[in-house]
Amino acid sequence: MSNKQQRSWLVVSMSNADALAQAVQSGADVVVLDLVEFVRDNQKPAAREKIRAAIDSVCAAGKQVFAQIDPQNHEADLSACAWPGLSGVVVSRAEVASQIEKICKYLFLWEKERGLSAGSTGMVLALETARGNQDAYEVATASKRVCALTLGRADLAMDLRPEPSGEIHLMPYLMERLVIIARAIGVTPLGAWWRAPDRGLLATAENTLHAATRGRAVGFKGSLCLRADQIEPLNKIYA
Amino acid sequence: MAQQKVRRSGLTMPIVTPRFVDQAWRRGCDFVTLDLEDSVPQDRKAYARTLVKESIPKVTRAGTEAFVRINHEHLEADTEAAVWPGLTRIKYPKTETADEVRALDALITRYEKERGIPPGTVEIDAGIETALGVTNVYDIAAASPRLREFGATNGGYDMSRDLGVEMFVPYDQFVYLRGEAELATRALGLGVRAAPFIANTSGSVSDGSRALRLAEAARACGLRVGGGGLNPAVVESHNVGYTPSADDVRDAHWVLEQFERVQAGSEPWLEVEGRVIDRYEAERARGTLQWAESCAARNREKAEAVARVRVQIEQMQAQQ
Repeated sequence: MSNKQQRSWLVVSMSNADALAQAVQSGADVVVLDLVEFVRDNQKPAAREKIRAAIDSVCAAGKQVFAQIDPQNHEADLSACAWPGLSGVVVSRAEVASQIEKICKYLFLWEKERGLSAGSTGMVLALETARGNQDAYEVATASKRVCALTLGRADLAMDLRPEPSGEIHLMPYLMERLVIIARAIGVTPLGAWWRAPDRGLLATAENTLHAATRGRAVGFKGSLCLRADQIEPLNKIYA
Repeated sequence: MAQQKVRRSGLTMPIVTPRFVDQAWRRGCDFVTLDLEDSVPQDRKAYARTLVKESIPKVTRAGTEAFVRINHEHLEADTEAAVWPGLTRIKYPKTETADEVRALDALITRYEKERGIPPGTVEIDAGIETALGVTNVYDIAAASPRLREFGATNGGYDMSRDLGVEMFVPYDQFVYLRGEAELATRALGLGVRAAPFIANTSGSVSDGSRALRLAEAARACGLRVGGGGLNPAVVESHNVGYTPSADDVRDAHWVLEQFERVQAGSEPWLEVEGRVIDRYEAERARGTLQWAESCAARNREKAEAVARVRVQIEQMQAQQ
């Protein structure tokens, strides 16, 4: 792998071929192939079928590839994405240790079956629910595969909205708490200090630059994003 | 979460001041808290307890809920005095441990049984006002099914004193404690009692326009549990501020119309007029419409009750 940095993580829908092609060409350090947030339920089987080829094309472009999986559908999602080239999975709405243990076990099965070295597939936990954040320490220590924590789209999953100050309600607390837990465990805190009107990882390039600048100051080491024009500010600030 | 009760506005009043208690039904509050604690002098505590049973029907006669705030150090005597038909919640100040909540729960359970109140009627509102309470906040919130709303909206005087933190400063000095309380509340699926941060450097408790601004900001944040006022001037501000406006309702309908287009298409979201329309926005919009209906129903219920009381009063006056 030519690029070991993980400054920018571009999330791209597995049901959007154009966005995938763009992601392959982009300057993102990591491309996250999404099977959860941006794929309609009726399109999930088709999205799963395409993911193996997508992993190959992102790898060929010298980027790391993660797949965002749904803990509710982890068997189907993991069997679709656990192929050579995959660096790890982003576990959407991670909230219970038993969930993480199950995913970990499945990954061992596929790693063995598909000739990957045991334990090589990493896990990023997206703590998007109140329960996941409350129990973050226990959840994040459930598997040695866990390499990073993020709040993902917690503002949307928990319905947290902007305050008059411009901060998103409860997010300052959740962000600082996540950094502390990640550091205590020795994994990477991913995120940025998103403020109104940023929403669910979506922001202009300029707001992304501000969010990353403050994010870096509070301890984040790279961030997920949704649009290609967010990559450059993330790469610049998290360098 | 079960359907949330509409509790936008509430006044706390000393139970030993008859003119407050007798007039409480006229204030338009969603709830009234009859206070046995800070507003009652030590030498009148015993007398205050004798007033609860007769005060509850006075404040609830026009549809207002009756709560009682007890003294932390008089748990048994105050609870025995407070649990009567019509009471829906006990506010327990300075809660510090889950065991304290369980002790209160056991007392309430006993008096509900003895006094013919359906089991589980009386809620517990555990007030977090000390450093120890913050430390144990999750266990406290999880200690009893009688806790249905929870949070630490602001530090309050007692918290400020216990932590040595100043009250009226132009920045949020309670990020951690409010976050701890709110995360526990949400993780347990309880009603969230929280507020956005707006600096109060004046210390005023009777500023109706500030109360309105606060309540509107809370509503914009999706927060719905209000109340806690000390002055009747803030009641209407809370009722109005926490209720979705006509614009909110129009906007919610618009979002749901746009979301139908999302569902008809193949993308999981659309950008319309600079706004993202997706399942999260649709969920918020449905929540707004449901809350608007709950508020309207509560307003009707209170208005009808007030009208009934006025007729009763006129009839009594005509007989005299």
